[in-house]
Amino acid sequence: MSQRCCSRSADLLLSRRELISRLGGGIAGLAFADLLGRQGLLAAAPQNPLAPQPQHFPAKAKAVISIFCYGGASQVDTFDPKPALLKYQGETMTGVGEVRATMGTPGGLMPSPWTFKKHGQSGTEVSELFPHVAGHVDDIALIRSMHSLSPAHGPALFQMNTGSILAGHPSVGSWVTYGLGSENENLPGFIVFTDYRGGPINGPPNWGNGYMPAAYQGTQFRDTGSPIVDLKPPAARTPDEQRRWLRLLHELNERHASENPQDTELSARIHSYELAFRMQTHAPEAIDISRETDATKKLYGVDEQPTDYFGRQMLMARRLVERGVRFVQIFSGGGNFEPSWDAHWDLKGNHGLHCAETDKPIAGLIKDLKSRGMFESTLIIWHGEFGRLPISERMDGRDHNANGFSIWLAGGGVKGGTVVGATDQYGYRAVENPKSVYELHATILHLLGLDYERLTYRFNGRDMRLTDVHGHLIKEILA
Amino acid sequence: MRYGPLAIGVATIAVTIAAPHRLWAQEDERARQAYQVLKANCFECHGESRKGGLDLRTHATLIKGSATGRVVVPHEPSRSRLYLLASHADPEEVMPPKRPRISDEDLEALRLWIEDGASLEDVEEAAADDVKSPELLAKLEEKAITPEERQYWAFKRPSRTTVPAVPASAPRPWTRNPIDRFLVASMNAKGLTPSPRADRRALIRRAYLDVLGLPPAPEEVDAFVSDPAPDAWTKLVERLLASPHYGERWARHWLDVVRYADSGGFEFDVDRPEGWRYRDYVVKSFNDDKPYSQFIREQIAGDEYAPDSKDAMIATGFLRLGPEMGGGERGRQDSLDDVVTTTTLAFMGMTVGCARCHNHKFDPIPQRDYYRIQAVFFSTRGVDIPLVPAHDVAAHRAATSRIESELKPLRQAKKDIEAPYLKQLVDAEIAQLPEYLQKAWNTPPGERTEGQRLNVAQIEKTLQSDSLRARITEKHLVPLMPDDVRRQHQGLKDKIAAIETTMPPRYATARAIAEGGRQATPSYFLHRGSIDAKGSVMTPGVLSVATERESEFATPPDNAKSSWRRRGFAEWLVDPENPLTARVMVNRIWQHHFGEGIVRTPSNFGKMGEPPSHPALLDWLAVEFVEGGWSMKAIHRLILTSEAYQMASRDVASNVTIDPENRLFWRMPRQRLEAEAIRDAILSTAGTLDRTMGGPNVLPYIDPDLFEASSKRNWLGKPDDDPSTWRRSLYVFSKRSIRYPLFETFDQPNLVNSTDRRNRSIVAPQALILMNNAFVIVQAKKFAERLRREAGADTGALVDRAFLVALGRKPDATERSKSVAFVRATPNGLVEFCHLMFNLNEFVYRQ
Repeated sequence: MSQRCCSRSADLLLSRRELISRLGGGIAGLAFADLLGRQGLLAAAPQNPLAPQPQHFPAKAKAVISIFCYGGASQVDTFDPKPALLKYQGETMTGVGEVRATMGTPGGLMPSPWTFKKHGQSGTEVSELFPHVAGHVDDIALIRSMHSLSPAHGPALFQMNTGSILAGHPSVGSWVTYGLGSENENLPGFIVFTDYRGGPINGPPNWGNGYMPAAYQGTQFRDTGSPIVDLKPPAARTPDEQRRWLRLLHELNERHASENPQDTELSARIHSYELAFRMQTHAPEAIDISRETDATKKLYGVDEQPTDYFGRQMLMARRLVERGVRFVQIFSGGGNFEPSWDAHWDLKGNHGLHCAETDKPIAGLIKDLKSRGMFESTLIIWHGEFGRLPISERMDGRDHNANGFSIWLAGGGVKGGTVVGATDQYGYRAVENPKSVYELHATILHLLGLDYERLTYRFNGRDMRLTDVHGHLIKEILA
Repeated sequence: MRYGPLAIGVATIAVTIAAPHRLWAQEDERARQAYQVLKANCFECHGESRKGGLDLRTHATLIKGSATGRVVVPHEPSRSRLYLLASHADPEEVMPPKRPRISDEDLEALRLWIEDGASLEDVEEAAADDVKSPELLAKLEEKAITPEERQYWAFKRPSRTTVPAVPASAPRPWTRNPIDRFLVASMNAKGLTPSPRADRRALIRRAYLDVLGLPPAPEEVDAFVSDPAPDAWTKLVERLLASPHYGERWARHWLDVVRYADSGGFEFDVDRPEGWRYRDYVVKSFNDDKPYSQFIREQIAGDEYAPDSKDAMIATGFLRLGPEMGGGERGRQDSLDDVVTTTTLAFMGMTVGCARCHNHKFDPIPQRDYYRIQAVFFSTRGVDIPLVPAHDVAAHRAATSRIESELKPLRQAKKDIEAPYLKQLVDAEIAQLPEYLQKAWNTPPGERTEGQRLNVAQIEKTLQSDSLRARITEKHLVPLMPDDVRRQHQGLKDKIAAIETTMPPRYATARAIAEGGRQATPSYFLHRGSIDAKGSVMTPGVLSVATERESEFATPPDNAKSSWRRRGFAEWLVDPENPLTARVMVNRIWQHHFGEGIVRTPSNFGKMGEPPSHPALLDWLAVEFVEGGWSMKAIHRLILTSEAYQMASRDVASNVTIDPENRLFWRMPRQRLEAEAIRDAILSTAGTLDRTMGGPNVLPYIDPDLFEASSKRNWLGKPDDDPSTWRRSLYVFSKRSIRYPLFETFDQPNLVNSTDRRNRSIVAPQALILMNNAFVIVQAKKFAERLRREAGADTGALVDRAFLVALGRKPDATERSKSVAFVRATPNGLVEFCHLMFNLNEFVYRQ
């Protein structure tokens, strides 16, 4: 990873060179400089908070693709087989302490409608809901003993995304871009995609910058049309007119700034229009999957149902990471109840659909990253905000469960084929080697070369940390 | 706090990014590791069984040591018996005796921990052991304040400092205002020269944007520029302070500090439709120049001072402004934490919230103070008080219950009609269930296992009475009914619906605070902040270090409806002896006028904050504030009429070299307008600003792709060209999970945490919004229409007028010729040009 550049102009040149190498020499980016007829206009400009920052220590992963199964995926139907559920179907759990069902009216134990099989060299058992992902069990580190603090969506989403169950804290993506910067200044460093059925509870604060500067906030990308709201100039303004408009703006601003040559803020603001202009071309290009081969699209299940939508997002995520974006988060599921993984009833229909939508695209992403040599430098994370209860809700659904659930990681620095921890015989509570969200977050930062204890941000008199005063590394999954 | 160099990117410039550095949490982590090593190797003998009198399980017993003396010397592993024995320094005497030597890695953990100070105070498990011993527990609650700690500048009462004598070299106008004399003295000491006075056009624009948050109209600029009177400036200052827009502008600053929002956050971010009454209260208080002491009393204890005053009751809504938290005792603790944290930041500039789980790490704030202050607020609960006379409330209640009693039998009759059809469908559903569930259903109630009992209850609920998703609803039942039954059913439905429409509308209410009575609800010291580790019952208190004597809380009169604890706390805050209150507020006022405070961390006057750049001036202002009857306008007046306020913003090369950060206020810094002020300036410039004050909020348009609506969380924005949304930004609904993009992008705080100083970032998305957002474009069209109305058809005159309206000045020759050429050469040129004006640096900065 490069160090901070010593001058702005060097930075600009670098980004142009990178641009050409990344995009095969084509497209814009040079245009604004051309229209200004000069380069390095900010010779003494301030440093870029999204400029690449050195890691605290060497690490393989450079970027993160976070797959968030919003609503909460059921562990006992996906990655944590529990034959006891069939054996004791309709009975209550014994020896597990108090059982709390968030929605009330708990039922007896409900067997999984799906069967599990061993896969790969590691022989890890995965349910038939994830046939394609199962083909990659030797690439992933499965944690079957996750637990978190809240069985309610709002706080649980906040905890998974920000470490705290309360609102107001920066998200993991914000911390990572704060710690490492971004490798492409023509795109946001942290990009978020939501589901076609809507967004998660809590809304945008899930990818918010909390008390940090807005630079570290997740930018929502749309998967159709213009990727960013307000990216495109008004329809009536032709590209040529926009050029002239920006030129006059620049001239008037420069005239104003020339009276105050030492005010770096004024020059920074002038520069922000250059960046905005470049983003207008780069952002649509970055997610334009029509440039991909049919074979690649097929890998992700693009143009097939039910994988088309999520497949496109996965493919866009790869393209973004390829272009130096630091953190891409994709939410599967949106809105309340049926449209998310929140299977309070009809587990079979719900998880059947969500798994079918995401299984092949996720496996496609792993394959594609591998074939491009990007798997080792990309960290993939798969989880929801909690798991689900082994007992029934509303006859054929499952209620929230934060006491024990499964998540997995793959890619940069992760030891594939690992299985960490275990839940009790019912899959209710993490009992063996339990892992908290703090530990997950500490490990994510570590895999990116960031020391979770050293990465701090001062706010209201405190040096804040993603893991607050908690956290240990999950050493078992480190390659 | 360090202010890093300015930084820019795709995203940005951001000031104030503290460099990552070592912090106490790392020590905590090492202590936890050491504790685990002790636990694994030593507790067998030196735990419960206390061999040799040594118990290593808790901090207190560790420090006490063994029967023969101490076992650790903080910071000195080589003198710590524990480490020497464990590392086999002397092969003759080793620990643990009959087991292998502790691994090198674990020994290293012990060594580092001893180097850090060998503390177990912050190890949760060790504390959990503490909980088992009541005498140790009680000891943990004690923390005395030392005399040295009281000597810290912020805890000493501000004294009336002497205004420095003005050196002969000072320019004459710098001798009048005490502020100037303080500033010029410190500048002289550093070899700085105050900047010259800004020109009148710059001055009036500065004053308008600063005091009102709106740019001046061209006529106002001209009048001021050509006013020959010697007191032209003071007249202007008085006019601005008398404007009702002053209250709107300064209320916004206060709302940041108290994390005001119009919704509750949390899962569904439920709206607070009457939350705006608190906002209006703040605006009115500022416009009336209500004494700050009264402003404090009303917000903390308005119900205890003036229960009959609507204003005072609305003010207590301050205590309910925070985001909603989870339920139960834990959620209540989180809510109280938000109240304690925000209250102490806002009024005291102290991070008391840091002492929730342990004594404050840097400041002399014992954990006990946190829980004593929590005890002040513990008995409060939210109430929505009616703002209409009592008889209206009674009438409403009577009407509602009459209607309910009419409805009850009708609803029952409808249910009776549905019953047989419901059974029919339930039976059919049961037949579809898995065998084990059918078996449960068919087992007689007395013979069911626990699991079967639960499953049957679940089946009943799911099929018949599930409010969320009943499988069988009316629409399934109606088709089964014969015609006559269906008609009868429909008749009942119609009747019910008709009666329901007669429900009277709800009367106006305000969010306020009440308590259950004179007796306060007992609250406790919580060890580690945990509700499972309650310590002593807490009496109410204040910040011990900032008060010489134990603060007294008055006993409430017999007819009191509350404990009067908050009243006692408010009295301590506004006591002239209080070293914090006045200093904190004058510093906030100063910050907004000069861009930075005298203390640059306005809500943190503790050790981790910044020391004041001009301590004597801060004290002088604080004393002046209190002696002037806590008048905020008096402080504004003092600042606004100083020479310092009127300085130019230009670079002065010699000064920049000595004091690049302008710590000594040798110039008025150039400042980007806040998000709200940018929007207000656009509306005002376009001539479309609706200056109506107060009342319910407006919801301007937000692209639905940006807020991810759900069935329970939505934003019903009106179109950009709907003039009803063209109110001042203060009146835009503040929804915690759906932020107005222009505000969010331009660094409006997150509406969750108290914010004393906004981030100031420069990011590309800001440029994108001002370049492309439809609201800005609509306003550009309106601006163009305004110019045509005011300046006719001549392009040169239009450009002149555009500069005058948007920037308060005429263009110079180059600006004019370039602009005229652009307007002429571009289709729809004037609108395009107007749009461009909104994007100029000069437009979004004040100098």
